[in-house]
Formats: sequence, structure tokens, C-alpha cells
Amino acid sequence: MDAILKVEGVSKRFGGLLALGDVSFAVERGAIMGLIGPNGAGKTTMFNCVAGIYKPTEGRILFAADDAQRDVAGRKPERMTALGVARTFQNIRLFASLTVLDNVRIGRHCRTAANFFGAVLRTRSQRAEERRIVDDAMECLDFVGLGEAALSQASSLSYGDQRRLEIARALATQPRLLLLDEPAAGMNPRETEALVDLIHAILARGVTVVLIEHDMKLVMRICKHLVVLDHGVKIADGTPQEVRANPDVIEAYLGKGAAHA
Amino acid sequence: MRGAFKTLLYLAAAAALAYPLTPFRDVYVLHVLVLIMVYMVLAMGLNILPGFCGLLDLGFVGFYGIGAYTAGLLTIHYNMSFWLIVPLAAVNGAFFGVMLGVPTLRLVGDYFAIVTFGFSELVVLFLTNEIWLTRGPLGVPGIAPVSIDATWLATLLGVDSRWRYAFRGEVPYFYLGLLMVILVYCGMRRLEDSRLGRAWLAIREDPMAAASCGVDLLAYKVIAFAVSAGIGAMAGAFFARWTLFISPDMFKFWESFLVLCMVVLGGLGNINGALVGAVILIALGELLRVALPRLGLPTETRFLAYGLIMVLIMRFRPGGIFTQVAETTMQSGLIKELRARLAARRTA
Repeated sequence: MDAILKVEGVSKRFGGLLALGDVSFAVERGAIMGLIGPNGAGKTTMFNCVAGIYKPTEGRILFAADDAQRDVAGRKPERMTALGVARTFQNIRLFASLTVLDNVRIGRHCRTAANFFGAVLRTRSQRAEERRIVDDAMECLDFVGLGEAALSQASSLSYGDQRRLEIARALATQPRLLLLDEPAAGMNPRETEALVDLIHAILARGVTVVLIEHDMKLVMRICKHLVVLDHGVKIADGTPQEVRANPDVIEAYLGKGAAHA
Repeated sequence: MRGAFKTLLYLAAAAALAYPLTPFRDVYVLHVLVLIMVYMVLAMGLNILPGFCGLLDLGFVGFYGIGAYTAGLLTIHYNMSFWLIVPLAAVNGAFFGVMLGVPTLRLVGDYFAIVTFGFSELVVLFLTNEIWLTRGPLGVPGIAPVSIDATWLATLLGVDSRWRYAFRGEVPYFYLGLLMVILVYCGMRRLEDSRLGRAWLAIREDPMAAASCGVDLLAYKVIAFAVSAGIGAMAGAFFARWTLFISPDMFKFWESFLVLCMVVLGGLGNINGALVGAVILIALGELLRVALPRLGLPTETRFLAYGLIMVLIMRFRPGGIFTQVAETTMQSGLIKELRARLAARRTA
């Protein structure tokens, strides 16, 4: 398997609390992987470790944007973004009082270079770069279907559109690996359908997707590979069919005894 | 309506421009106008921190003081030209901004505000006690006014005379101050509508999301601090060469508070708001200076009025007078072009 991401024995402790205990899994390049588990299982903590927001207490996180694989555990979030890892947030984190376009333009930050002097002097290269930033941002917005709303304020968008805007902003960083934290939360069935199409379109752009999701029907439908966490420990890893039949998974979701019923 | 308002604004601006040259000019009014311009620059400089980056800076006046003393001392000891001193003071202010920012910008919220407050107190204590350098509480008197020396041009042209003009009275300072305000204003607008300005606004809106977009939080906060400090120091340099006397008690904490009030009143993150805030609060301060003694109150009670204004603003209009963030961005050519493109797409 050509893995874009390998998580090896990652643990994360917050004081006495073990949020992640010796978790290992691999993400296949160009596939959709689902990270599932009950509330408080450590899924978002796992994302935060991969995205550089937390430094794992132990373990290695091997990321291979192209060929060279390197241990990226403990790198800062902005470095991870530059390497090609982008993410969305469970509780939407947009730049609320800025426009939709500006949200995505900020996403271009790590792929552009203008500095203080370029901005004040309005050099030729700075102006050309600004024009490119607008074009690239509009491309991302059109891709998620928000092009028309480019100049509205981000906070004026509907809930579903705000989630799409977060995806557009993440795509603007030109990621190789996209981490989606509960992208379908709060969406109606029609929006969820559109999201499925969008995720497949993202995949077609050559971006690998890992998603945390509670909507089991959605997960079982679009993921080829699932990893299940419970209380910070991996309890299952395999295809949706294998995971669905796993007694530990049934117990984690439905309680003790459910597997035997 | 909007057009009429604009015309009126232009007329007012033209009248203000011509005022110092008219026979109705009054030294006191001119003095207040120049003071307003100094505070406009200060407010625009401070606006970068609480306005663009969401960092509460209570020690801004420290950089103002550093700039003023840099200019004052360089003038006294080396008789340096104002045009050389301004960039030097700005660089010196920015240097102290970086020195203070690198270790302290890891702090967030109130903790950062406390450190900046401590810094400005430190500057005042330094200016008061390091008598060998600053003459302490006596201050630095006898600073030469700004002058324009074009003797080099005369020599170049083979004319044997001194082409030197030293500023006298308020009129030349009025135009020099105006030039400074316009330059800083244009610079701020350009910064706001740039990759740098967007990164600052992202930090203000949501630091975690900003980092996920690739913004190096510490680096961009330090840049903001340096730019803000540099502008503050520039205003200080102008102030020193305008009042021709500086002393440590001109740079007390109250000044920071006053500038912060201007920025909050005008609207955090709005450049035009900073200008309007400076006009309102300086004008109000001058009115109170006249009115309070007549009521039998000491002039220091004017700070009560500033406090009251802050309370009222927070209660009734927490966004300030101009609530729009990144306003100038929406006026840029690229955005206008995009708006036209979107409209064309909609009709197609």
C-alpha cells in the first residue's frame, strides 16, 4: 500500500488523562478514510496531532507528500499546512467578519510570498500575485459552488455553506491530505448529498481525504477504509464490512452485551 | 445623497487645507489641528494591534516616547536633519517593538496587555531616572525646529547662497503634519489590502484557523508590533521637533489610554475610524480644558469624560462609529473587477 500518512504508536496525554493510547494506522494515497468512534474517543485529538496543533506525547507521524517520507510529529500547524496537510474544524472556524473571498484568500497565504515592503510599495510582482490570489481563490469557491457569494460576509452564509467555505479555504492551501472534521454535521439530506459529490470531486483532484463523521450511512457509503477509536484506543481497522461485524465496535457504540444479543 | 455628502466632504477638506493661509487663521486653532494630526498618526499606528490583530496594547505611548527622545537627543547632540531623524526614530521604535514583542507575544489576552502596560511604565521610569542620557524630569529643551536645507542644490547649481528654511510658527507644521498623515494613511490602506493585512485580520478573527492557513502567528504578531511601534515613534519624532521640548511626563500611561479610546471610538480595525476618533477626542479634550475650570473642576477630570464615552460606546455601539472591518479592501480595483465579473456571470 502506498501510504500518504502513517501514524505509528501515537499517544497523547493531557496531565493524567490519556486522550490517545498507542494508536497506529495508515492512510492510503488517493483514498477516503473514515475515522469514527463514540463521542470523546479521541478522533479530533488525532486530527490535532496530525495537523500540528498538538505535539504527540509519544509516537511518530510519517507524512509523505510525494515520495520522501518524514516524521512530522510536533511540527507547528503552519509548517504542516506548508507541507500539504489542510483541515476543517468540527465547530466551524471561519473568519466571520471578513468576506467569503477573503477567507479563501487567507488560505492562499502559505503559497504566496509578498511581504511588508511589497505591500507598502505595491511592487509589480506584488500586484501580479494579488491578482493570482483572487483568481485562485475564485477557482476554489467555484469548485465548492460558492463563487456567487464571494463578496458576502462569511457569517451571513447558511450553516451548510459555511462548511463548504471551510473546505474551499482548506483547498486553497493546495493540500495533498485533507482532514475533514464532521463535514456533514448540521446538514440536511440534500446538502449531505452535495457534500458526497464534493468529496469525490476533491478526490479526483488528487487529494487524499480523511474524515471524522457520525453519520454512519455516509461513512459506510463513501469510505473504503475505516479506523475506529474508543477511549483513545484503536479498536478496529478495516473495510466497512469488517468494521460493522466487529464485536468491539458494536459494544463501543451500543454498550456491553449488545454484541451477543 | 451619498454624492452630496461626498461633495460636502471635499469642500470641507479644501477649506481645511486653505485655512492656514487665510487671514482668519488663529495660532491656537492651528496648534490644535496639528495636535489632532499627531494623534491621527498615533491612532492609525495603534489600530494595527487591537484593530487588525486583536491584541490589546496598553503601552503604545512607550514607543511614542522612544521616538520623541530619539529625535530630541539626535537633534540636540548631533544636530541631525529632521528628514534623517524620522526614519531613524521609526527604525528605533520598531527595534524596541521587536525586542518587546518576541518574548511577550506568546502571551494571550489580558496577560499580554499587562506586559505592554508594564513596558510603557518602564519607558517613563527610564526617561525619568537615566539622567546622563535624558536629563531626567527636567526634560530636553531647546530642540531645533524642522528645517529644509537645500544648500546642496544651490551649490550644485553654482549659486553662492544658503537655501535653508527653518520652520517657524504653526503653518509649516500644519502642512508637514498633513503630509505625514496622508503618507501613513496610504501605507495603512495598502497594508490592510495585502497578504500581510489579511494575515493580521485572520489572527484577530481566529488564531487557530489562521495557523491552519499557514500563518505563522508569532512572526506576524511581531511584524504587527514592529510596524505599530515604528509609526508611533515616527509621530514621536514629529512631536519632538514641533513642541521643541520633551519631558518624561508627556508619555505617561494616560496617553496610551487616550489613543486606545480613539481607536475603539472610531471602530476597531477601521482606518477611517481611527482618524475620526482622533478628531473627536482631541476636540473634546480642548473643549473640556476650557469648560471644566469654569465648572470649578480640575482639567484632569476630563479623563472621566473619556471613560464615560468608552462605557457608552461599549453599551450602545460596541463596534465603534465605523464597524466595517477591512473596509479599504472592498474598494480595491481587483474587488471592483471581480464584482463586475460576478454581475456579468449572473446576467449570462
